[in-house]
Amino acid sequence: MYSPRFPRLAVWAVLAGLTLAMPASFGQATTEAQLKAAYLVNFLKYVEWPAQHPVFTICLLGRDSLGASLASYEGRQVGGRELRVRRVGSPEQLADCHELFISDTEEARFGALLRWVENQPILTISDAEVFTRDGGAIALIRSEGRLQFDVNAAALARAGLKPSSQMMRLARQVIGGSR
Amino acid sequence: MNMRITLLPAALLAVGSLHAAEDLAELSLEDLVKADVTSVARKSQSLADVPAAAFVITAEDIRRSGAQTLPDVLRMAPGVEVAQIDNGRYAVTVRGFNGRFANKLQVLVDGRSLYQPMFAGVMWEIDPIPLEDIERIEIIRGPGAVMWGVNAVNGLINIISRRTRGRAGGAVNVTAGTQGNGNVHARIGGASDADSSWRLSAQGRHLEPSQLHGQSKDGKDRYSSGVVNFRFDRDLGAGSDFSVWASAARSRITELWNFSPTFSPTGGVALLPLTPKQTMSDETLVGRYRWLTAAGIESSIQALIGHASLEIGNFAKEEHVVFDVDYQGRRAVGEHDLTWGLSHRSTRDDIDTHEPYVAIAGENRTARQTGVFLHDDWTLLPERVKLGIGGRLDKATANGTQVSVNATLLWTPSRADSAWLKLARAPRISARGERDISIFTGMSLLPVPSPVPGVPGMNIPVIGYIADNRDLGAEKAKGFELGYRKQFAANLGADVNVYRQRYTDLRGATQVRMYGCHPMFAGFGIAYDPAACTYFGLPAAVPVLFSQNRTVNNLAGTTRGAELAVDWLVRPGWRLQLSYAWSKLDMDDESDPVARAAASAAERSSPRHYGSLRSQWNIDANRQFDVWLRGADGLERVDQINLDPASGGATNFSRVPGYVTLDLRHAHRVGKDLELALVGRNLIARNRVEYISDFIPTAVTEIAPSWAVTARWKF
Repeated sequence: MYSPRFPRLAVWAVLAGLTLAMPASFGQATTEAQLKAAYLVNFLKYVEWPAQHPVFTICLLGRDSLGASLASYEGRQVGGRELRVRRVGSPEQLADCHELFISDTEEARFGALLRWVENQPILTISDAEVFTRDGGAIALIRSEGRLQFDVNAAALARAGLKPSSQMMRLARQVIGGSR
Repeated sequence: MNMRITLLPAALLAVGSLHAAEDLAELSLEDLVKADVTSVARKSQSLADVPAAAFVITAEDIRRSGAQTLPDVLRMAPGVEVAQIDNGRYAVTVRGFNGRFANKLQVLVDGRSLYQPMFAGVMWEIDPIPLEDIERIEIIRGPGAVMWGVNAVNGLINIISRRTRGRAGGAVNVTAGTQGNGNVHARIGGASDADSSWRLSAQGRHLEPSQLHGQSKDGKDRYSSGVVNFRFDRDLGAGSDFSVWASAARSRITELWNFSPTFSPTGGVALLPLTPKQTMSDETLVGRYRWLTAAGIESSIQALIGHASLEIGNFAKEEHVVFDVDYQGRRAVGEHDLTWGLSHRSTRDDIDTHEPYVAIAGENRTARQTGVFLHDDWTLLPERVKLGIGGRLDKATANGTQVSVNATLLWTPSRADSAWLKLARAPRISARGERDISIFTGMSLLPVPSPVPGVPGMNIPVIGYIADNRDLGAEKAKGFELGYRKQFAANLGADVNVYRQRYTDLRGATQVRMYGCHPMFAGFGIAYDPAACTYFGLPAAVPVLFSQNRTVNNLAGTTRGAELAVDWLVRPGWRLQLSYAWSKLDMDDESDPVARAAASAAERSSPRHYGSLRSQWNIDANRQFDVWLRGADGLERVDQINLDPASGGATNFSRVPGYVTLDLRHAHRVGKDLELALVGRNLIARNRVEYISDFIPTAVTEIAPSWAVTARWKF
């Protein structure tokens, strides 16, 4: 019978090779998470909030898939306002959030989580396709090799948010109202 | 070894620097909409805020693995130990104590446990759900009893099926390959109105017998299985919904046992092969209702009714009906995120055995188990420190009240890294089969010199038999774990952890008595028990000895281990994923000789290393080429049947060598909806053995290289 002893050395050689090869390749790939983070920052420029505030706060809920990608934007100016990013876990922590990103792993809880932001000027965004149909404002969707977005106009209106006409035009699909 | 494990993350740290997405920030919404996403997708993969050693397998990972069974898919996760026994049988565990009847792992499909009440494990011979219908698999290593129930001692495998909403349409997947491999899967989904959606899927699989190890005969393990799954979801609005799952599965596999001793009056023994056919069935119906109260409490109630049967030739026939009700509540308030639950499960079985091979105490039993738990995720310092603390109480018909506790501390010094500490205590309630089954455990030959000079001695067969013990208690485990996770750059992340887990009251055995089937043994101080021998079908005065043991909680041991997972998107279309696990089991020294032998067998059957390196490469928009290199360290298994008189009745071990093997997959998309793939599996380390069955003396079969072609059509 063919019986190799587990080639421990070979495994460590592969590991070492991987480690050494890493720096050369940094910064070449744009991941889906980076694109999503860029969307979150961009939406701040295309939506009008009822009250002005010196800082913009993006809040993250659920599995933190975008935190690392958003880190590079933290403290930067967006539309003349400083950008902050925060993780939240309960309704009490949502007070000064402008955007609430809900990870698609929380799909089962969308109904409950959207209740937390009811009648508050918070733009809700998720990367689950069903989000807008569940009453969320924006869903980021991977479709045909691109990352696109759906908008629920009624949800934006309920939150007292005014989306720019350009944003509505770029949306893949708008439900709950006309473009 | 420990030294080298700690060096690796240090090396990763040294080269890592967080890559800023400067260029993306300058893009307008218009540019973003047009930007191509070419990267190999990994949704739902992030685990930055999970205070446990966790791993996620996505639907894409499953498809690109080329695997056709659940255990084969699980091989990619660090800390999961998978060893194939034959065409349908697998030994699967997390963090040690592997076996055909491995019992320290909890496996859930959409919240329903795949627990086989006879031995508290999973029978992988039956497919609980077609692989194609799985959305993702989350694997959480380490004790998770508080949230997931008393059998999540070493870990939890949580299988989440594809949602039905927004997934109308159908798919047909057909696979044909070497060794008579056929696999047909079909799925259709739709929406009956805006709020209701459903999916119906069916799968059938077949494999021709594999080769017996070291012989040019086949292992009689022809395998066929089928599963039908249905899921219906209805959104009731205002945060409430209703779902129904229905599934029915069947499997059939024969096996070859080199076991049916026939004795000659002169002490000779011959083993006749038996080929019992094993058939399994499972039907389950689950309903779940989730709602939201005005106070903001998210509640869910799930009820299950299931029926399953297992028949092994004419040796054993088991059937059970299970009822399970499970309530869970969740409320996030201020710094607290509270989860609580209440569950009750009742299992009524009906077991028929073919004595004397297998016997069961009580043909019908009802086992009830009630559990209650409370868990809090408490943010001590916003953005920085989170404390998780929970407790669970279970009351089971057999083992009384059991306590589980869990405490985690998660520290996130930055957005890109997190460290966690976990302390947990988890019991494992003894299973029906462990308590009530009496069965042959093996046979060896004891050489006895003749008292008369010049006359040759005899080799006396010693038959091992383990008797039931209704008082078998729960096993206990206490674990400690330290982990660190870092996102070095948007395209590179790593996860490393170390653990130590202490087990007490593990199931072992002790000798109750030794008796002979011939009056001559009285001369050696061994009782002659003709009544017992008659029970085993032996005529009077046959020179055979019986060593009768019983199961008791007399073992203890400690596992130590380290695990590593690296996920690296080298280029937008090329991803590498590495996982590696090292573990070591040290059983305590025992004075009881039977316990000592069991402890040694457990230690020697634990492989030290498991590793997997996967490469997923999108050659272009229509072609994919994937490579999977994986391997495991060797192990040793006790020879249940040891007919070598030279060993003098002592335990003999067979070595299962370590291996490194290779899988390849090339997929080509033809048009929008059709994908053709060629998959080669086990291409190196050909004809190896991965495991030798325990308790049931299934003949050892080889895992052969295989090729298959798969067509996937979506409509």
